[in-house]
Amino acid sequence: MPRLFFKKQHQVEALIYEYLEYLETSRKHFAEAINACLETGVCEDFDFRTRLTHKFESKADDVREKIKELMYGKALLPESRGDIMGLLEAMDIVPRVFELILQMIKTQKLIIPDLIASDIKELLDVSFENCELMIKQVKTLFGRAKGIRALVSTIDFNESRCDHIERGIITKIFDSDLDPFQKLQLKEMVVNMGEISDQTDRISKRVNIISMKRHV
Amino acid sequence: MLSLLGGIFLGWSLGANDASNVFGSAVAARMVKFWTAAILASAFVLLGALLEGQAGIETLKGLTPLNLEQAVVSSVAAAVTVTIMTIFSLPVSTSQAVVGAILGIGLLNQNINTPGLGKVVACWMGTPVGGMIISIMIYRVLAFFYNRLNINLFQADNLLRLSLIGAGSYGAYALGANNVANVTAVFVGAGELTLFLAVLLGGLSIDLGILTFSRRVMETVGRRLVRLDPFSALVVLLAEAITVHIYTIIGVPVSTSQAVIGAVLGVGIVKGIRTVEKRTLLNILFGWFLTPTIAALIALSIYFAIQLRYVPTG
Repeated sequence: MPRLFFKKQHQVEALIYEYLEYLETSRKHFAEAINACLETGVCEDFDFRTRLTHKFESKADDVREKIKELMYGKALLPESRGDIMGLLEAMDIVPRVFELILQMIKTQKLIIPDLIASDIKELLDVSFENCELMIKQVKTLFGRAKGIRALVSTIDFNESRCDHIERGIITKIFDSDLDPFQKLQLKEMVVNMGEISDQTDRISKRVNIISMKRHV
Repeated sequence: MLSLLGGIFLGWSLGANDASNVFGSAVAARMVKFWTAAILASAFVLLGALLEGQAGIETLKGLTPLNLEQAVVSSVAAAVTVTIMTIFSLPVSTSQAVVGAILGIGLLNQNINTPGLGKVVACWMGTPVGGMIISIMIYRVLAFFYNRLNINLFQADNLLRLSLIGAGSYGAYALGANNVANVTAVFVGAGELTLFLAVLLGGLSIDLGILTFSRRVMETVGRRLVRLDPFSALVVLLAEAITVHIYTIIGVPVSTSQAVIGAVLGVGIVKGIRTVEKRTLLNILFGWFLTPTIAALIALSIYFAIQLRYVPTG
């Protein structure tokens, strides 16, 4: 398709890939921040990684705004515009959850106790796998759109696994003799961590619907 | 020139209203800028009129012999009918108004080409049906290939966009070729215009309507079709253009709006959804009888009115 005629579409396409890059970078810094927190609690490295997570979340936000402007500038068919904007808004929730968790840990001076540390790691590992799969799925949607359904199943399976781990962690927290106030704080943090995989699952289903809609 | 004004007005209103049937959905959805659509539509309407407009003119001028006065009356009557029905938001087809007006004069002359009229009426009825059948066929064929294309979302988007512009241009070509007869056929019958001048003048007056007054119609009427997904909108547009083009080859001016309704109905059948309300279909039936009747009555009234002479008594 001649690039000359569809300049705006090509710009949107390039910006979507840029957005996905920032999303992935933000996730990597979030993972580093959590690792720092698990190893040494709130420390300098944690603060540094938190700032980076925020920085890339902001960059992703800026790119999303640019895409929005181009969309309002009549790039793409109206139906595609709606689909892409809806998808970007849904994806934007993920880095916001990253930031929320890090801010909770920082402002509430949360210390993750050893009895749930390995479970938290497992929960986040599976959630990160889902993030990667989600990004892969979105790239597939904007690529040749083959294999989207298989990814939906894997993400859905991972999401169920995360729910199971999340319930286990909350049970452990309330079975422990931690301070009741700390229990509530930790529970809130774990619920937010569980939200990562929940959101990736929602996005994955949305991508699948967009892909199916293109079949006539 | 003055005697041609009714025809020019008819062409202008045809261009202003019917351009929405070819580029309305694309313009209303902001897929194509209005001026791009208007210029493309004008160019292809004129091309269609010049290359294939003659057949329809032959059919209409053969319905009844007209002198210049009668030609002017039938042309003005058709224009008045279209205007009145548009003001009252009644379903109207320019082709049916023109034929009705010619028939009104034909009744007066007691000279109507019945086989010719039968052909015209049969084509009117065949227009929505043709639109429906063709859209079902096009949908199935295009969907078969479209679903097998190895392209991404952006490429599919671009492909649909280009196809909508292409189909719109073809639709404009078919509109010009088919409907130019409505504008100037009566003047050819009356010996006022040559065939070439008739298609040229008809095409230009339709263009005038497109360029001066079609924007609002495209943006409002076009939205009705936007509710369809882009692929279905493309099918509807292609089916309408092919249907109208077929009737152009047969030599009968038909309603592009009715071809669109038939095509939308066809898409609904393929997808198993209701796309056209019963009321719209009843409106078509209603229009088949109402429009020619009103046009014939108006033509007769105008004709009688201009025959009245003041005769002083005593």
